[in-house]
Order: sequence, then C-alpha cells, then structure tokens
Amino acid sequence: MTSEIYFAEVEGKEYQIEILSETRVVINGASHEIDYQPLKKHSSCSLLVDGKSFEPNTYQENGGWEIILTGKRFNVLVEDERERRLRLAAGESTLQEGRYILKSPMPGLVIDIPVKVGDQVMEGQVLLILESMKMQNELTAPRDGKIARIQAKVNDNVERKQTLLIME
Amino acid sequence: MFKKILVANRGEIAVRIIRSCRELNIQTVAVFSDADRHGLHVRYADEAYHLGPSKASESYLRSEKILEIAQKCGADAIHPGYGFLAERADFSQACQDQGISFIGPKPSAISAMGDKQIARETVSKAGVPVVPGTEGQGDLTDKALLKIAPEIGFPLLIKPSAGGGGKGMREVANIKEMPGLLTASRREAESSFGDGNIYLEKLIQGARHIEIQILADQHGNVLHLGERECSIQRRHQKLLEEAPSPFIGDDQALRDKMGEVAVQAARAVNYINAGTIEFLVNANKEYYFLEMNTRLQVEHPVTEAVTGIDIVKEQIRIAAGLSLQHKQEDIILKGWAMECRINAEDPFRDFMPSTGLITQSILPAGPGIRIDTGVYSGFEISPYYDALISKLIVHEETREETITRMKRALDEYRVLGIRTNIPFHQALLENTDFLAGEFNTQFIQDGNLPVSDTPMDQSLPEIAALTAVLATHKRTQRSAVSMQRGRRDTSNWKWINRWERTKE
Repeated sequence: MTSEIYFAEVEGKEYQIEILSETRVVINGASHEIDYQPLKKHSSCSLLVDGKSFEPNTYQENGGWEIILTGKRFNVLVEDERERRLRLAAGESTLQEGRYILKSPMPGLVIDIPVKVGDQVMEGQVLLILESMKMQNELTAPRDGKIARIQAKVNDNVERKQTLLIME
Repeated sequence: MFKKILVANRGEIAVRIIRSCRELNIQTVAVFSDADRHGLHVRYADEAYHLGPSKASESYLRSEKILEIAQKCGADAIHPGYGFLAERADFSQACQDQGISFIGPKPSAISAMGDKQIARETVSKAGVPVVPGTEGQGDLTDKALLKIAPEIGFPLLIKPSAGGGGKGMREVANIKEMPGLLTASRREAESSFGDGNIYLEKLIQGARHIEIQILADQHGNVLHLGERECSIQRRHQKLLEEAPSPFIGDDQALRDKMGEVAVQAARAVNYINAGTIEFLVNANKEYYFLEMNTRLQVEHPVTEAVTGIDIVKEQIRIAAGLSLQHKQEDIILKGWAMECRINAEDPFRDFMPSTGLITQSILPAGPGIRIDTGVYSGFEISPYYDALISKLIVHEETREETITRMKRALDEYRVLGIRTNIPFHQALLENTDFLAGEFNTQFIQDGNLPVSDTPMDQSLPEIAALTAVLATHKRTQRSAVSMQRGRRDTSNWKWINRWERTKE
C-alpha cells in the first residue's frame, strides 16, 4: 500500500493525516497504531487508536463528513494532496450565489405553499409547510431571493430529496 | 377476568400492553396497517389482523373496522393505548354498545375531560385552580379571540379544544403575530384531531409541568401514585420525564396536596380507570390544573418504577370490575426513575423527522434498565406515525445515581440507519442546570441543543478527523479497485479480499 496524505479540517483546525498502512497513521507528525473496522451500510465503524476504542457514526453531508462521536457532532472536510493542489491553483472559490433548490428533507405531505412563482422572499420566510410524523414543519428561505419555480402542489405526497421549489 | 384483549394501537405501547396481558394469561389480538405488517406488536400478539392502508385515518382510526375484528375474533375487551382512539368518547360508547369492555374511562368522563374548555370549567367548579383563559366562553371566532387576548394578557397560548401532545399549540408574544398563529393552530388542530376549535390560555412563565397519576376503580375508590416531572419539552412535546419531581423533592405536604386535588378533579367527572392530571406549577409552588389525560400516558413507566405497580395490569383489572388492590397509604415512592424518549429525529437539524430502515439496533441493558420499543434492526421507520421509536427508562436510589445510569445506558444505545435524538439527551444530562434540577418548560428553546457543561475530551476532534479520512480513503480505494477489476492483477485480488474482510 502506498502511503497517502490527507488534510482534514474540523472546527477551523487542520489535521494532516498520512496513512502509512492499514494499521499505522501519522497525525500532524505523531505516529499512531490503528485498527479501523467499518460496519458496512451501518454508517458507523469500530476504531481503535493506540488501544483506545471509539465508535463514531459517519454520514456524508453536503460534500463533507458529519461525524457523531460520543453524542457530539463534528463536521469534517477532507481533501487529498491532489484536490488540495487543484483548489489552491484555482484560488479560494466563493460561495455560489446562484440558484437555491429546496428539496424535501423527508417524505411527507405538502400542507401549504404560501408563496407563488415570481414572489420576492426574504430570508427566513416560510416557503412550504410539510407534514411528516404528524408534525407540521415549516421550510424556510435560506436567503433573500425570488421564487423561480414551484414543483409541488398542496396535498402532494413527496419523497425525501424530491425538488419542491427553486429560488434564484 | 378477560379472556382475549384486542390492542387497538401500534408501536411500543401496543407491545407494552401485550406484555401485561401475557403475564395475566390473557390472549392478545394485534391490529396493523400496511406499514406495520412487520411491527413487533404483530409478531408478539397471539392473533393479528390487517386494518387497511398506512394512513392512520384509514387504519388505526377506523373504529368500526376494529370493533368488527374484535367481534369476529371473540375479544371481550379493547385496550386503546394512547393517541388514535384512546380519547374518543364515541369509541368508548361503541364498545359499550357492542358488549365489549373498553379499557379506559366511561364515554361521559372522556367527553367531560376531552374538550379542554369544558374540563377547565368542570374542575374549576370542583374547587381546582385553573390557568386563566377563555374557559366557559364556548368556541370563539378569530375576531372574538383577538378582542379577548389583551384582557388575558401576553404572552399567551393558543390551544386546540380537542387532542393533546402539543399539536396545534402556539405561543403568542403580541397581538401583531396573533392572526397568523391562529390560522396555523386551527389548521394543525383540524388535520390532527378533525376539530379546528381553539381557545386561549395565559402563558405561565417559568412554570414547571408536573402531573399526578391516578387510578380509580368502579367501586368509588380513587388513589394517586405520586407525581411525574415533565418540564423538559420541546414545542410542547415531552422529551424526558422523571419521578419524583426534583422541584417537589421532599416537600411531602405539597405532594399530598396536589395528589388530593388530582383525586378531587377525577371524582368531579366520576372518573374510572387510569388517568393523569397535569398541572403547571410556578416558582411559588402555586399549581394550576392544565388538563386531564383520560388514558395511559407515554411516561407511565417512571411511576411504575418508583411505585412497583404495573399500571397496565391495574387498568385491565379495573375494567374487569375488580377493586383496587392498594390503599393510598400503601403507595410509597421508592428511589428515582427517569425516562428518555428516543425519537427518530435529527437533533442537529432542528429535530427534523428521520425515516428509513434501521440497519442496526443494540439496546442498552444491565441493572436498572428498561426499554419499551416496537422497532428492531430491519424495521423500516415510516413517515405515517409519530417519531417515538423507544423509551429508555432507568431506576436507581437517588437522582444523581439515576442520571449516571442513564448516561451509561445512552452510551450503550446504538441505532444505525436513521438519526435519533440520543445526542440531545446526552447533552442534556451534562447540563449543570438540569443536573441541579433547575429548569422549567421553557428550558429547551426551539432548535437549540442544551449546553453541555462537561469539558469536551480534547482528543475527540482529532479522532473525528481521522475517522473522516479513513472513510474517504476506503471509498477511494474501493472505486480504484472496481475500476481495475478486469485486469486480473493478483495484487488487486488481494485488495478486494482485504476489503471484503473489513465488511462486517
């Protein structure tokens, strides 16, 4: 196995992690013995680091990792050497201001859509009310913008991740 | 005693009821919707019958279909659990008409307590203090409510006349935001209970939610089983309950007084079976009647733990016409009990419901631990019913020891495939105000996790970084291997083999 270097950012702090073998890693210059056993499909793993036992949950969210460890959440961004080189060459990309696609965060029933195409909406304004598990959830605008398209109707049963509405 | 009981419910509570029936040597009948064919209650019951599609209105709320099944299979009693048909006077009446015992109160008591406005009027006449509001004024229009609101004073609460569980409830800070909240409240009440009537109640700030469990038989005996503290709520949904209440603590006089008042309220409606009187208690230990739940409560296990009484068995005995086995002086609270409601909700995303397949579930166990659940590894959480997947109840000598035990149990609990609110409870149990027993119903603010006051283990961010790197590395290696699979390279085979080994 060829060694590989990764960079991980957690809570504003960067860690350089080199994977030397299946049982050895170097974190910011310090060598550690590891035993990593992913639980397939379980979004979790058993991880031994120098004999200490951890069982983090691992979720892929928004291009990064969400790690839940002893009830605490850590958002981790990981890149390898090549990705890092490319990113630095391209310059820091700015947050895209373009379209915002509101996707259903869960399966549910559309109760109300208090906006229509062409409306100017403000950050925090309710775009759609979705009922799931007997609770009504208000889905709100993440920023100011204009409603470009509405792709759901009141009383629609929608699936998780289904596109409901597009803002620009 | 009954020979066969139909349990008109699902999930953890159906399983809970089936357990008591089995111990009483009573045959059990489960009913299920399309989504629940694999439910634990179906697997545990002696008989099980299909009700209809997944939507509650087409399955668990179909009273005529449930009664038809009860008749067909020869059930002599129906236990409604909580929610669904539990607080429907017409259902209790229909059971009575068809000669099937309804394990709960008489229809008249359900009606009297079920309409929250009538309930407030009734107990108020019996000398029980109530929170000021629009009681006794009937169903009012939005216009009338907007007119009365300033007289009651802000902040206030809009509450649906029917139902409970926080659904349709809205907090109003000022008159400006009130019209929109009235609409939202009526809409949610209508869709949850089929009744859009609402009323107003003064919001008692800094109050605690403390409730008294009562038992009443058909022979005029009423007793109370002490209190439960249920102030840890989010959007008026209880999340953690304990018995006794850390606020009442060793103030036995207050406990006795509230117990007596609860018994008085139950007597006011000739209440029979198990019920709960909810109170709001302010910092001066003044208490106000909030409502009566004419059914088994989700949080009944904490009372069972400290009293040693199986409330479901008592419900069955009462419905069968037996006298209460205990006297008030026999009821002694022993030790401390706490319940965490484990919901399929993501505490890091504003408690968004989480649905899907539970791929692994490892339950905590060991001394003093009880789990009531209706799900298991391989069960699919559907969006049709509420988010409660299990209740974790622990019992110990003191509150401190109970909390330590609960932390241990939460650490052991593993649920994969869906998100749960376990991290919420873990943070709560590390909050110093919670540990000191200093909290009220406003303690959990919408969307906020309680602040954990225990300093974090400094190695955790590094472990999180390492985990994410290893997961990324594994993924890249895997795609690299699959790309080269055709090449029959021995080292590739070694790789595949290696990764196969790491799969579970």
